[in-house]
Parts: sequence; C-alpha cells; structure tokens
Amino acid sequence: MKLPNTAEILDQPACEHNLSVDKACEKPKGGESCAFDGAYIVLNPITDAAHLIHGPIACCGNSYEGRGSLSSGSRLYRYGFTTDMTEMNIIYGSEAKLMQAVEYIAGRYKPAAIFVYSTCIPSLTGEDVETVCRQARAKIGIPVIPVIAPGFLGHKNMGNRLAGDVLLNHVIGTGESSESGVRSSEFTINLIGEYNIAGELWNVLPLFEKIGIRVLSKITGDSTFQEITYAHHAKLNLLICGRALVNVARGMETRYGIPFREVSFYGIRNIRKAIVEVARFLQDRDIMERADEVVSEEEMIACYALRDYFPYLRGKKAVVYTGGVKSWSMLSALNDLGMEVTACGVKKSSLSDIAKIKDLIGEERILKDVTPKILLDTIYKTKADILIAGGRNQYLAYKEKIPFIDINQERHTPYAGYRGLVNLAKDIAKTIYSPVWGLAKKELIWERP
Amino acid sequence: MNCAEVKEWIDTKEYKEANFKREALVVNPPKACQPLGAVFCAVGFEGTLPFVHGSQGCVAYFRNNLSRHYREPFSAVSTSMTEDAAVFGGMNNLIEGLQNAYAVYKPKMIAISTSCMAEVIGDDLNSFVIKAKELGVIPADFPVSFAHTPSFVGSHITGYDNMLKGILLNMTRDKKAKRNKKINIIPGFDPYPGNIREIKRMLSLMGVEYTVLADNSEILDAPQMGKFEMYAGGTKLEDAQNAGNSAATVALQKFSTMQTIKFAQESFEHEGLQLYPPMGIRATDKFLMEMKRLTGKPIPTELEIERGRAVDAATDAHQYLHGKRFAVFGDPDNVYAIVNFLLEMGGEPVHILTATGTKQFEDEMKSLLSGSACGNEAQVYIGKDLWHLRSLLMTNPVDMLIGDSHGKWIARDAGIPLLRIGFPIFDRVNLHRSPIIGYQGTINLITGIANAFIEEIDRTSDDAHFELLR
Repeated sequence: MKLPNTAEILDQPACEHNLSVDKACEKPKGGESCAFDGAYIVLNPITDAAHLIHGPIACCGNSYEGRGSLSSGSRLYRYGFTTDMTEMNIIYGSEAKLMQAVEYIAGRYKPAAIFVYSTCIPSLTGEDVETVCRQARAKIGIPVIPVIAPGFLGHKNMGNRLAGDVLLNHVIGTGESSESGVRSSEFTINLIGEYNIAGELWNVLPLFEKIGIRVLSKITGDSTFQEITYAHHAKLNLLICGRALVNVARGMETRYGIPFREVSFYGIRNIRKAIVEVARFLQDRDIMERADEVVSEEEMIACYALRDYFPYLRGKKAVVYTGGVKSWSMLSALNDLGMEVTACGVKKSSLSDIAKIKDLIGEERILKDVTPKILLDTIYKTKADILIAGGRNQYLAYKEKIPFIDINQERHTPYAGYRGLVNLAKDIAKTIYSPVWGLAKKELIWERP
Repeated sequence: MNCAEVKEWIDTKEYKEANFKREALVVNPPKACQPLGAVFCAVGFEGTLPFVHGSQGCVAYFRNNLSRHYREPFSAVSTSMTEDAAVFGGMNNLIEGLQNAYAVYKPKMIAISTSCMAEVIGDDLNSFVIKAKELGVIPADFPVSFAHTPSFVGSHITGYDNMLKGILLNMTRDKKAKRNKKINIIPGFDPYPGNIREIKRMLSLMGVEYTVLADNSEILDAPQMGKFEMYAGGTKLEDAQNAGNSAATVALQKFSTMQTIKFAQESFEHEGLQLYPPMGIRATDKFLMEMKRLTGKPIPTELEIERGRAVDAATDAHQYLHGKRFAVFGDPDNVYAIVNFLLEMGGEPVHILTATGTKQFEDEMKSLLSGSACGNEAQVYIGKDLWHLRSLLMTNPVDMLIGDSHGKWIARDAGIPLLRIGFPIFDRVNLHRSPIIGYQGTINLITGIANAFIEEIDRTSDDAHFELLR
C-alpha cells in the first residue's frame, strides 16, 4: 500500500501565498491531534455512511460519538465501528478480518457507503486496505472507500486535506445529474468546510432558501453520501473553512470549472458580504434584489435582538484562540458586538487566514506561538475580559478566574448566521457577568479587615 | 431489506442471535486504550509529567477525554513520531522529547508510556532512557519511569497497571529500609477523586498511616484558588520510594492491579491484598475489617455511626430498588462492585457486560450471583460491546442501565434511565467529586438510583397519579 504524498497535499496553488512566499502551505506546528483525527472529522459528518476505523482500540475507543456535528437524518455516522486490532491481528495480518467487518456492516446497517480509515498500525505493517476496499465494493455493491490517514503522517490539518483528496478522488463526480434533479436554470451552490457543529448550518440554509438559491451539497455537515457525489453540478462553491478543505475547492475548479469564494457566516458584516458575493456571482436581478431584502430584514431582526446585549458588551476585551475560518471571521463578529480583540492566536490558522487577521486587528496583536502560559500572560497584560478558544483551554481559564466561551467543536450553541450572533452575544454576556467570579476573590473574605 | 425494515429488525431476538455471532467487528466499544490508563496513573505522582512515546494524535485524545470528564486542565506530552521515525526508529524523538519536556515543564519525574507505533517498531524504552542520561540531556539522577503500553494489547485498566508497576519498580529500587506501619493503598483505575478522598478520610478516622499509590485526587479535582497549578498534589516521590517498606499493599480494584500486586508481593515481600471497590455496606465492612486485621487498629465509633446512617438510608429507600431489573456495563472492578451492591439492596442484575473482563472476572461474578436469589436471571458477558448490550436491552428489557455516558443512546432506544457511573462521563457535571464507595458513597448510590426511579414515576405518570408523596 502506498502512503499519500504529504508534500503534494500541502502544495495548494490556490493559496495566494504560494505565488509569492513559497510553494507550499505552512506545516502546522504542534498542539494538534493527528492526521487520522483530521480525516475523520472531515468525513464523519456524512451521516448515512458507516465509518469503520481499522486499527487497535485507541483510535475509535477514544474518539467515537465525540464530535458535535449534528444530523437531521441518519445517526449511523455516530456509531463507533472498529476492527479493534489485537497482537494476533498484527502478527498474522487482518485483511480478512477487515473484509468480514465491511461485509457485516453492509449487511446489518445498510449504509450508503463505507469509509475505511487505515490508522498507524495497518499502515506500518503494510496491509493492503485499498485492495480490500476494492474487492469489498465488488462483493457488496456499495462504495467502500479507503482513507489512508495514519496519525504519523502529520497533524490534524494534514488529515483534513487527505480527506479532501478522498472526496475529490472517490466521491465527488460519481453521481448522476438525474439523481440531483438539478435544472440548468437553477442557482446552485455547495458549502465546503462546514460541519454543522451544534447545528450551525440550520441558521444558514434558510437564508439561501429565501433568496432562491439551492444549496446542492454540504461538504460535509449534515450531508448524505449521495448529495456529495453530485456536487460537481453546482455553479459556485462557497469555501467556509479554507484551511481544512482548500484542496477540494481548488480541485473542483480545475476538474469541473466551478469557481469558489471564501466566505464566513459569523457576524453581520461577514454574512452580508457572503450573500452579496453569491448573488453578484449568479448575475440575476431577482436574486440580487431578494438577497438585499433578506439580508436587510434579517439584520434588522438581529439588531433588535442584540440591543439588550450591546450595553453589556461594548468595549469588552477578548483574547481569541481558534483555528481556520473562525480565527478571522470571529474577530469581525466580535467587532459587530462592539467588542475589542486584544490578541489572537494563529497557531492553527493558514497564511491567508493570518493575512485577514492582520487586516482586522493589526500585526502587533497576533500571537504566533500559543502555550497556556503565553495565553494567560496575554490575557493579564491586555486586561482582557474573556478568553474565546477551544475546549482544551476552558478549564485553564476557569482555574484563573477568566470568563470563557468555547467556539470549537465542543460548543453546543450555534454561533453562525444571524441567530447565531445573538447566541454568541448571550453566551459572552452570561460568562462575563456570572456571579461565580465574585466567589473566588483573591483574599479570603474572613481575612479582610 | 430497506432501512426502515433494518430499523425494526435490529430490535428482534433473531437479530440478537446474529449480533452475538459477530466477530470481526466491534461496534461502540466501552473501552479505551492502555496509554490512557498509563497517563491517568502518572499524574497521581508529585510533579510528574505524563510522556507518551508514539504518534501525536494519541495524546491529544487522552488530554481531551480526561479534560472533558473531569472538567480540569490536563497536561501530557508526546514525542509525535512521524514517518521518519517508522523507518529509523524513535530513539531520536524520545531523547529530544525528554530534553524539551525536562527543560520546558520542569517536572520532578517523567513517566513514559507508549502508544502503538513505538511498539510495532519495537522501540526499547530502557536503553533509550539510559542513552538520554549518557548524553546528558537529562540529569543521571532524574527519575524517568516507563511502561510499554501498546493499545493492541489490554485496555486502559491494564495500562494503569503497567504504568504503576513501572513507576514503583523504578522508584523503590535500592530503597529497602526498616519496615514501617504504613499501608499502601492502590485505588486502581478509579475515575472518582471523591473515592480516594473518602478512603483517606476513613483511614484517618481509624488512625491508619497510609500511602495512596497513585493519588490523582487533587490534580483531577483541583480547587479553584485563582491560579492554575500544573502539578497539583499527588503521591510524594519520597513516599513512592518508600512504598516497599510499608507493612502491606492493598488494592481496591483487582483487574487494574494484577501486575502491580504481584510485583508488590514479590519485591516488597509483604502482604499484597486485592479487594473489590468497597461499594455498599458489606463491601465497606470487609475493607474496614481488613484494615483492622492488617494494622491492629480498632474501627472507631464514628464509622460505626456512619454505617448505621448508611443502613438507615438503605432501609428508607429499599422499596424503590427491591425487585428492579438492571443492566450494568463498564470496567470489571466497578461492575462487580455495583452488582454486589445491587444484590445487597434486592435489585436484580440481568445483563452484566464488560469489554475488558477476563475469565477470572466471569467466574468470580458468577459465583457472586449464585449466592443470591436476586442473581438468578443474570447473564455475564465479557469482551462484548454496546451494540451487543443494545440487543440485550431490546429483547429482554430492564428498568435501568448503569454505565458511562456512551450508554445514553441505547438507554434512549430502550426507554430507560441511564445512571452514570464510570468513565467517561461527558454529559453530567461534578459526579466525580462525590464518593460512591464507603458508607458515605453507599448513601450517594442509593440516593441516586432511588431518586432516578422516582423521577421516572413523576415524569411518566398521568394527572391522576401525580402525587406529592412518593
């Protein structure tokens, strides 16, 4: 079995920086999970597929059911399927076991497709997962797709891109237009790099529906396998998380001539920008008018709902540490709420993300390296009122009496779309003004004069 | 068969038969891997940095899961092996990693465990650590303990065992001195810091001197004092070094301490006793009586009064538990202790399932069940998963499921409450802080189960039967 070429994965001519700086996207540095995790995160939201993890218990046992991607249909994607490789499987090989597992899943769960993830161990011992998948497909008659993403290949982001390549090479373009029912006059778009965490898509899809734009394929939040197979029938791709899946957008441009735009749905200004950009692209007077109407109406509703929060949030200072699309779009959303971002960690951002961040807050507020100590020091130095980051920093913040909200995959409230922004305002206010911080005074109450 | 038909079919007895014939595939496994247990054990020692030699994703998972369960920051490092390491071996990664970890995080001890990749390559931790010290990247007298913990062998409970044995082997070497009166207490893979505190409290009431190996009750349940402490609490390294001079070693779990107890018996040349977790009245009685036997200290009146209070709680609540049918899953020691407690209350365990149990567990479990009329219907399943358990719940219904958060979907499908005990618990807060062992813990257990049933009555009763008194 051949391992994917990681240098090729990082070489994305679509990134602006590749024209000037160097040939490849920067390799991420430390602190992240592995390529397997990254691949699993991207593909797992395909809800009616089975996701079979070929490897010892670690990769599945520690991770299944752990993602916040929601489904409006099948819940099969949540099941933790694994071959649970043992020492004997390593010594005698486990290709036959894998074949049996695939057949069992096909017979008992009727998935639309099966993704088979080859983790570190089968990749090291040289199991031919690709051939097993090919044979299985011939036997059971549904797509069985190998995802060669052992953790040792690199960081989470490497895995995101590997999964993107899998979608390009094995899924997108395999569906017939008759299945999608797309009419040539229809205005169709795809969303790429949006995983429906906490149901965020459900705040965004109605906007397009009202305007008369059909979201053909969601790649991959709350998607069915089939809708991704005919993604190549869309007129435009909206790239939500560029850092994760720029290769999919780029690949679809080369293969099918579908252009893409990088947009975000966090914050009023970003949403308007995204919608207007789509409407302009489609060059239809009706669409442009409706887009303007919908956006204006929704903005009014959102501002009305936000009016109670503005006085509490205005001038509050935040330190932000997240990755990908959120690292720049969240800054703009916080500005919409009247808040100031005093620093932003960019360890998990792409170079083009960082360029956008620079434009928004200036170079001096960028934190290139992020450790717990640097985060805390920055919060104290800039007198920030809140840390906005991922779950792993949540309890660090709490221990230091710092209000916190989670904007990564463990959040349970959608922050995208207009309603999402109201949620964000509410959650920030709730934590900053919580009475619990008053309980943890520096000097104990009984030691006061 | 289409999807709707499959949906109905999977609830049938016929499907159950097919499901139990499944061999090549595990669906929704209630277990984690060895290095998770090793990392969990390592943080129980003073100033100790858990260090995982393997590819980088593994440690991210452990940190995530432990942090989510305890709602605490969790620090651990990894050597992040890559393709190059697969070809050339992981020695350079390990030596460089030790150097960085020592310089940046300033630990008092580093505890190395391994994940799969290092084990398949065949990295030899012992010689690598010696090499690192020869090269001077860490001081020669700096304690580095290690354990080989591949995830294709055992589970998180054996990983705990291997790491603890590794640390004791390293720390007690050449530390033989005069025997003292202390008792070594090994909690095992016990996800409840509240349990460790409860054991310490009971022993203090008895006036027993003890060393808890490994005491992770502070770092996993750290007080909010306005300042993050990376190394909070833990067994003092000096106490760990002296563990071999104690009067006895008592493990409060069996299957997560097999290697360690054997090591203690052979190397410390003192009594090494394995008990099940003291959950319920009789199990707590047994624990205290063993302590009395080992130390000669009497059981004080305070504990006798506590026992009375726990028995009172059991009496007041017995009508809510007696005759109720239960399914229990999780790690073997906890499962055994829960079943023992249920039988004591007149509860009827029906499905008893563990992914990590052994033949010995199965035998001991069956012998426990045969001693009680309430155990007549019970079946014990080892090496099974939550998809098997689903078939059991759908074809032979029970009133309550007891296990970790992963059980929530099958409990929902079966329309019964899930009482959360075990690891991981990601969807409830603060459960780990209160004990579920000892007399106090028994009161907590009884209260939790009885009130869950009463809550069910309130939730499902019509207006006519919705009453103030229950």
